[in-house]
Amino acid sequence: MIKSEDKIMTMSEAISKFVHDGDCLALGGFVTNRRPYAAVREIIRQKIKDLYIEGGPAGGDVDMLIGAGCVKVLINSYTANSGYSQVCRRFRHAVEHGSILWEDYSLDVQAIMYHAAALGLPYVPVKNMLGSSLISQWGISRDIRVRDSKLPDHKLIIADNPFDPQDKVCLLPTPRIDTAIIHVQQACTDGTCRIAGNVFCDPDIAMGADNCIITCEELVSDDELRREPWLNQLPGLVPDAVVHVPFGAHPSQCAGFYDYDEPFFITYDQASKSDQTFKDFLFEWVYNLKNHAEYLSKLGEIGLNNLRITPGYDYVFGLRGVDCHE
Amino acid sequence: MNKWTSTQMMAVALARQIKDGMTCIVGTGLPLLGASLAKNTTAPHAVLIFESGIIDGNPLEVPTSVGDLRLSRLASVLWPQYRYLGFQNNSRKKNKIDLGFLGGAQIDPYGNLNSTCIGDYLHPQVRFTGSGGANGIAGNVNTIIVMEHQKRRFCEKIDYITSVGWGDGPDGRSKLGLPEVGPQAVITELGVMRFDQNTRRIYLAEYFPGVTVQQITDNTGFKMDTSRALEAEPPSEEVLEFLAKL
Repeated sequence: MIKSEDKIMTMSEAISKFVHDGDCLALGGFVTNRRPYAAVREIIRQKIKDLYIEGGPAGGDVDMLIGAGCVKVLINSYTANSGYSQVCRRFRHAVEHGSILWEDYSLDVQAIMYHAAALGLPYVPVKNMLGSSLISQWGISRDIRVRDSKLPDHKLIIADNPFDPQDKVCLLPTPRIDTAIIHVQQACTDGTCRIAGNVFCDPDIAMGADNCIITCEELVSDDELRREPWLNQLPGLVPDAVVHVPFGAHPSQCAGFYDYDEPFFITYDQASKSDQTFKDFLFEWVYNLKNHAEYLSKLGEIGLNNLRITPGYDYVFGLRGVDCHE
Repeated sequence: MNKWTSTQMMAVALARQIKDGMTCIVGTGLPLLGASLAKNTTAPHAVLIFESGIIDGNPLEVPTSVGDLRLSRLASVLWPQYRYLGFQNNSRKKNKIDLGFLGGAQIDPYGNLNSTCIGDYLHPQVRFTGSGGANGIAGNVNTIIVMEHQKRRFCEKIDYITSVGWGDGPDGRSKLGLPEVGPQAVITELGVMRFDQNTRRIYLAEYFPGVTVQQITDNTGFKMDTSRALEAEPPSEEVLEFLAKL
């Protein structure tokens, strides 16, 4: 029996309970699509430190965590608000100044590592990355890794394929994730989740982590999601917390609900250029706002309505140019 | 004076590589513009695949990222990302993917690409996004590379190999345990480069209208054969009309 009433929490409660200094977090979504921004803003508000960040290709959410001083280690394949910040600027600044530790993998390899975590596999062999600097260059040295209990001792190991010794394979350690945070379109009180559009790596990081926080656009009745269970991605057995935050992925997009906020990304790009302007941005959009409700009222109803998808499309029609044939 | 910008000409040259009915993996940035252009003009039946797991997307507008909802429009399937890794393998066995499109910051004469950093990896002068899906695309399929044409980007030795091209020459890939696919062309704002079948070294194949061969040589940081270079066709009216609306 799943006790559903225990899972519904405020963002502040969920983050206090499941995100602590020094934890390894995996965030869902993809670059500018369905990133768990509301949760990220609360992590910054609670001034949580020394995080190890995993997850698929990241955007301004991870950039904000880095800029706010919450991150110790980033496991990276890509960090950009593509189209607006071709490389996220706080990420870039931190790497160029050595203020975080980082490791690079390729995106497809990360996806299989999270799948391994979801399946409980001890490691995964792949043929990817062979011959590239992703194999030879380690962002985090063996020495540091051995001394850090949160990190595997090796970035990877090149070995003979035991079934075909002529063949070289790259062995990848399975990530150990304390808490996954994913933003979904619908969840019900028992924690059952429905994601519309791409799921990306989200079900895998949710299953692979010790704890899982779901933030959702809509909190619906248990019955509603059970009428078409084939559309659901996670049973209520996986999530530990469910937080209802409409526009919780803002400024990224959320299929079936809203598009990304182009002016906001442009503002963020400018703000993230220097330490001072970024600090001002954090005060304006995070520290000076008590919670997500205050964030939404600062954005304003008109601003938010402009982001709602055009009926018949899954984005704001015409925002990025119009086809001449239609 | 040309009726188009250099970025538009790049997108046009890129779109020309996509023949109608081809299956292509498209990376972020300029490849997205070129592929959206091809799909809406000369190659409506091209199958576009993205590392986010979107298969056969039909963008009407130019997406900003390979995970953009604009790409999911009328797609055949939205796969979880791990299936995309499997699909690279599946389609290589069946020879299903014709081309992959990649961007990059630095390239060497054998088409090895850097999209990670300038300078030492641990103490970079400039840090870029990182591999994204580029490494896997370069590992598994023939590629078209799109990048800016500058001396510091076309260099004899790149600072980090994010995506392997032809390695160090004719048998470079087999030595690394990689399949015999690799870069087919490099498109810049100045022209189109290809790779010699025997030496696997880059050469100039086309220069764009209004560009001189000397200009290209001046902006290339290594010695490049230009003896086979021809002037490229200008973009058609139809294509310019579409570009004007973006």
